Amino acid sequence: MLEIKNLHVSVNNNKILKGLNLSVNKGEIHAIMGPNGSGKSTLAQVIAGRKEYKVNKGSIIYSNKKLLELSADERAKQGIFLAFQYPIEIPGISTTNFIKTAVNKIRESKGKKPLDAVSFLKVMKEKMKIVKINQTLLSRSINEGFSGGEKKRNEIFQMAMLDPKLAILDETDSGLDIDALKIVAKGVNKLKSKDNATIIITHYQRLLNYIIPDYVHVLIDGKIVKSGNKNLAQELEKKGYDWVRA
Amino acid sequence: MIKDFTSIKKNIFKETNSILKTKKTKVFNSLDNVLKTYKEEYKYSSLLRKVSKKFDILRVDSYKKKKNIDKKILNQYKNQYSIITINGLFQKNESKIPSGISVNTFDKLNNTDKKIFHKFFNNQDDSKNDIFTYINTINYKESLLIKIDKNYSKKNHINILNFIISNSGESINHIRKLIVSNQNSKSVFIEEFISLNSIENFSTSVTEIIQEKNSEIEYLIIQNDKNNFHFNSINISQKQNSISNCFTFSYSGAVVRNNLNIKLKEKNCYSNMYGFYALRKKSHVDNHTTVDHMDENSISNEHYKGIMDNNSNGVFNGKIFVRKKAQKTNAFQSNNNILLSDEAKINTKPQLEIWADDVKCSHGCTVGQLDKEAMFYLQSRGISKEKAISMLLGAFSEEIIEKIENQFAKQKIKKLTYKKLEDFTS
Repeated sequence: MLEIKNLHVSVNNNKILKGLNLSVNKGEIHAIMGPNGSGKSTLAQVIAGRKEYKVNKGSIIYSNKKLLELSADERAKQGIFLAFQYPIEIPGISTTNFIKTAVNKIRESKGKKPLDAVSFLKVMKEKMKIVKINQTLLSRSINEGFSGGEKKRNEIFQMAMLDPKLAILDETDSGLDIDALKIVAKGVNKLKSKDNATIIITHYQRLLNYIIPDYVHVLIDGKIVKSGNKNLAQELEKKGYDWVRA
Repeated sequence: MIKDFTSIKKNIFKETNSILKTKKTKVFNSLDNVLKTYKEEYKYSSLLRKVSKKFDILRVDSYKKKKNIDKKILNQYKNQYSIITINGLFQKNESKIPSGISVNTFDKLNNTDKKIFHKFFNNQDDSKNDIFTYINTINYKESLLIKIDKNYSKKNHINILNFIISNSGESINHIRKLIVSNQNSKSVFIEEFISLNSIENFSTSVTEIIQEKNSEIEYLIIQNDKNNFHFNSINISQKQNSISNCFTFSYSGAVVRNNLNIKLKEKNCYSNMYGFYALRKKSHVDNHTTVDHMDENSISNEHYKGIMDNNSNGVFNGKIFVRKKAQKTNAFQSNNNILLSDEAKINTKPQLEIWADDVKCSHGCTVGQLDKEAMFYLQSRGISKEKAISMLLGAFSEEIIEKIENQFAKQKIKKLTYKKLEDFTS
């Protein structure tokens, strides 16, 4: 589904990713762990199509398409979804309106008719239950005045609404209390199917107690230096990142 | 560059009413002052030069033929109250005026109304300070009195539709009116300027609004004319406990200048001034506002927001005066701008002049671009760049539109604004 080869990325002339390789098949959950500044978020943003990140070398093939040639919105239409580490507040656009526009734009690209108000509301109510988010929150402007936990739940809610093929969760666990963490994890597990894949980016092993990964990769200094199964995460938790560096 | 202004004097002789003639002559004598202030007040808008290039600006056009407005256009305003003018002349038969409001040209006024007219007319305007109000005052052919009765409180808005029709060649029109809002009345006006052919025209509109005690007025102006050189001056004078809510929405126009002058003459007045401008191509829109706090305990609140694209040009100049007597004044002012192209320009200048010592005042302005993070967030959800831009610009306008109290007006402006913003995708 996703094939990243020898990816080199820089931001403002700082080299961040230095030859990263990653292969993700459908139905899989991959966890990418690593210390601060190792390039985890850069990887997420590059896959999602952030222009400010410059790809100097390498390729990303997604569902047989050259991903780097597509704009961010085209990628979303092809089924890529990024749950942001720091979801931005956008005053003046209601969350519901925003999600409705997004859902219908994606439907439009697949040649489907836009959802009318009634059917949209029906789908929305269904998905709201998954992340326990309430209607009043969604009638407010995008993320405006949302608590940290509410912002993260809103990300997973959007993911549920857009039903992506490849979801990237960028430190969705950071800043969450244990209850919110469970709700988010439950949501992710519920949305999991044999046809979609998930990449979880995290510092800690904590989230991986609730979402069991098939693969764990350690990203240090712009490269994946070690890969393994879920046990690798536990080992890292015990021994720290210096253990892999050594 | 500009012809001899003293030749405008001959236009005064066309005035048949002796009192109006005296008023016009008085204004004529302030020519020196008007030309002197022009330099400073039009520093960023060379309107006079631009208009003079294309029009013989001191000319007074005469219209003999009766003109008709296309029914299709009028149908858009069906079942709404409307005051209609064509080329500055009131069209009584086409207008639909609610009970509790009377509208008449000066020569049709009864004696009581004539007294009211003489008391207020041309006393509050900026004809001795602004060259275009000056021209308007000397050259208008018809002046209108709109009188709102005591305790009037119909919720429905009243359109003021100023049509400009020219059969051949460019035209010059001067629109002039006085609105007296009597005690405890509450009214809503939506004023539009609509030219019905694509010929370039120059128009001036001067409005004086007198607000008696406890009166409330919501006044919205929509400027959405393509090739129009337009000057608009609104002059409001408020008495105790009165409330004014002014909105200026500018979407196109070759060169547009708006003067908004508010005098808070007595205690406990409340004035809101809001504006939104979205400019493309070579449009030039200049908003000049003045609020004069003359007595204690009043509040003025001003917020203008604008978007400039291509080679367009915006100007904002907001002045707040707080006189010595005006203790416990609250005055706020802010102007926010988004520039979408490297060639677009905004000149913004907030000004405060405070003579009282117990006041709360703030002012500020910002100039920025569209938030890249927000753009990426929307695009990452499958929303195209073009759609994301118009969504963010819409969100930017929301803060102003939200402030409109009248629901019909709010929906109308919202619809128009979002439609206009769809073009801002470069």
